[in-house]
Amino acid sequence: MGWINYNIEKYSPQQLVVIPLVFLIISLILLALNTAATGMPVTPGIDFSGGTAVTIITTDTSAQLQTTFAGYPLNDIGDVNNGKFLKFGTMTDTQYQSLSQLISQKYPDAKIDQIGESFGKSLQYQAVIAMIISFIGMAIVVFLSFRTFVPSVAVVLSAFADMVMTAAVMNIVGISLSLGTTAALLMLIGYSVDSDILLTNRVLKRQGKLNDKLMGAFHTGIIMTSTTLAAATALFVVSWFGSVQILMDISAVLLIGLVADIFNTWLTNVGILKWYVLKGGGK
Amino acid sequence: MNEKELKALVTDWRVATLIILVVLSVIAIYPHFDDNGNIATNLQYGLDLQQGAWIQLEFKGEVVGYTTDQPVDTFVSNLSKQLDAEVIAVDENHLEIRKLYNQSELEPVFTAEGGTITSYSPGVSKATADDVKLILENKINAMGTKDAKVNTLTGFNNVARYIRVELAGVDMKQAQDIVGKQGKFEIRIQSTGNNTEHVLSGDSITSVQMPAQEPPGSDKWGVGFSLNEAGATAFQDAAIKYGATTDPANHYLLMLLDNNTVYSAPLSDNLAAQLKTQQIRQLFASTGTGKTGSTQATDLEIHLRAGALPVDVNIAGSGGTSAPLGERYKAMALLAGILALITVGFVIYYRYREPSIVLPMILINASEVLILLGFIALIKFQMDLPTIAGLVAVMGTGLDQLVIITDEILHEGKVPSPNLYLKRLARALSIIVAAAATVVIAMIPLALMDLSTLKGFAIITILGVLVGVIVTRPAYGKVIMQMLSK
Repeated sequence: MGWINYNIEKYSPQQLVVIPLVFLIISLILLALNTAATGMPVTPGIDFSGGTAVTIITTDTSAQLQTTFAGYPLNDIGDVNNGKFLKFGTMTDTQYQSLSQLISQKYPDAKIDQIGESFGKSLQYQAVIAMIISFIGMAIVVFLSFRTFVPSVAVVLSAFADMVMTAAVMNIVGISLSLGTTAALLMLIGYSVDSDILLTNRVLKRQGKLNDKLMGAFHTGIIMTSTTLAAATALFVVSWFGSVQILMDISAVLLIGLVADIFNTWLTNVGILKWYVLKGGGK
Repeated sequence: MNEKELKALVTDWRVATLIILVVLSVIAIYPHFDDNGNIATNLQYGLDLQQGAWIQLEFKGEVVGYTTDQPVDTFVSNLSKQLDAEVIAVDENHLEIRKLYNQSELEPVFTAEGGTITSYSPGVSKATADDVKLILENKINAMGTKDAKVNTLTGFNNVARYIRVELAGVDMKQAQDIVGKQGKFEIRIQSTGNNTEHVLSGDSITSVQMPAQEPPGSDKWGVGFSLNEAGATAFQDAAIKYGATTDPANHYLLMLLDNNTVYSAPLSDNLAAQLKTQQIRQLFASTGTGKTGSTQATDLEIHLRAGALPVDVNIAGSGGTSAPLGERYKAMALLAGILALITVGFVIYYRYREPSIVLPMILINASEVLILLGFIALIKFQMDLPTIAGLVAVMGTGLDQLVIITDEILHEGKVPSPNLYLKRLARALSIIVAAAATVVIAMIPLALMDLSTLKGFAIITILGVLVGVIVTRPAYGKVIMQMLSK
């Protein structure tokens, strides 16, 4: 890729890590603020908090829909391509049944998903456990494959920064934590370390000048991230165009995470690795 | 590439394996024209890619760990009275209570009866959950709905809290009706010849026990059930009126569910004698000995309940997709896959500008998705939207790894000697295996947990990574070497 000139020879490790470090701290503060406000680092969506999500194909305006569903706890109306995405709060069984009848009368082509509050809570609990186990598992694999402390920590730290930054951006752009986005975050745990592993491997196991090795790794690594970015972009465009909410959320989270990963691999991870090699490690 | 080289390439075991798997996958997917002339495949779709509805039910009960210094039988029956609920011993130190109480409500009752609670989890035992599953499946089958799935979600502690019903081709309203519907149960008695008379209907049955051996340990199976006052009177009157008490062998008792006979047997001599003089409210229908007897007892228990569940449930979640939306999502998913392949192809072309590298990469990548789809068709896995996202991600990361191989082998722009090539391929594969291992590890918790729809997604992602590492990467290594050494 000719248009990116990745030459970091003149930067010290400290200079390399300072930008992502600032971003990481800002992200952590944002997540802490969100936790204080909602009890979770990322605002939980209907899958976890309970409620009803309805996708309808309609030309009705938001105001019209407000009137139609006046008797129900309609929390949010979102626009999707040639339709609307409605979110309702928790309801009693009878209320829900009358709502689903109303919807199937007025909008027979709707897609309805309803999650009870306690079921949502148990899903949320499991999702959190899944993420923690995934992250620990990933860290163990990384440590096993390098068997040296500092480079392994660098990889795990980059992956951690990926997750934190992605979560913070999710809050900023208003993507809630759902089953789909949980899956996307777990994918990121696995995929974000690809390029880190390649980088560490090249730097520690190959002969040659450090800067050449870093440039070579970047050359390969940036293409790797670009292919996944390209696939995620295609998914995002199609799901936006076709108004497939869950795919839109998944691909958006992947896109955010991959951009964060470029930063963290080629600044955070490289910074720590460079410091480690300059100080005499890895020889 | 001449004919001889091509032959050498195709007969290489790595490449041959890939080709065979691709062919097998196409067979498994089996694209064909259906009766209406539309293109059809063997692929099955989940409830967001076709019309259908799902309902998730939550059991209103709990499994409680306990200790007591009282005899277990009296302890259990006292608890049952105090709590006004069925209480069943799951194992030596766990009880299932078929009514929803929280732990602080239960504690004083346990203390009063001389026991203590050691653990509390909402839900029912696996056995009860399986029972509910059977009942629901029977009901759904009786409705003639073929494409249905019932899954209990059992946690690590063997307690099931939820059960999920998925029905293809019906809308939410129909699904709720099917799950909520009760069957019509009736007991009839043989009068003369093949004629039978009505004795009582399902509403006279007040409770149904679990299959049991009578006497205990005899391996003679059956199901006990209780009648209300009116039912017991009707039972006694009919038995006397039609002569079953004097000649049991010619006056069988029949049980019918929705007008199908599900059980028929004569009165036992003992019971016939008793009925002459008194009402009997506790009855026991024996089904035979051994495995057959026990299976039939389970079926009979379900029939006696006439579709009523042994434990109350409420709806924890539900949803449905209409036919047009399902069709649209399917089209979008296909479009996303094709577009992803094309854009990824452009990125690769931009980087290498060499058709003899780009073409094999894209083909290998597409073959990987094809093999995965073949697998999905073979195991009859129901594809849903998260699975599609997983497939697209597999495409993106699959190419990542082909890039690693290409760059490792092409290091310093020169084509290596065969010896050096093998060394570099091995190095590339070691990076890939480490990267693949992290993805697999990251997905394992999801594959093992019952996080609703995400289980399938995790399994497909793991499979995708495995197919890549075991089959397609080694084949690509071989192909690229052949291409470059021209």
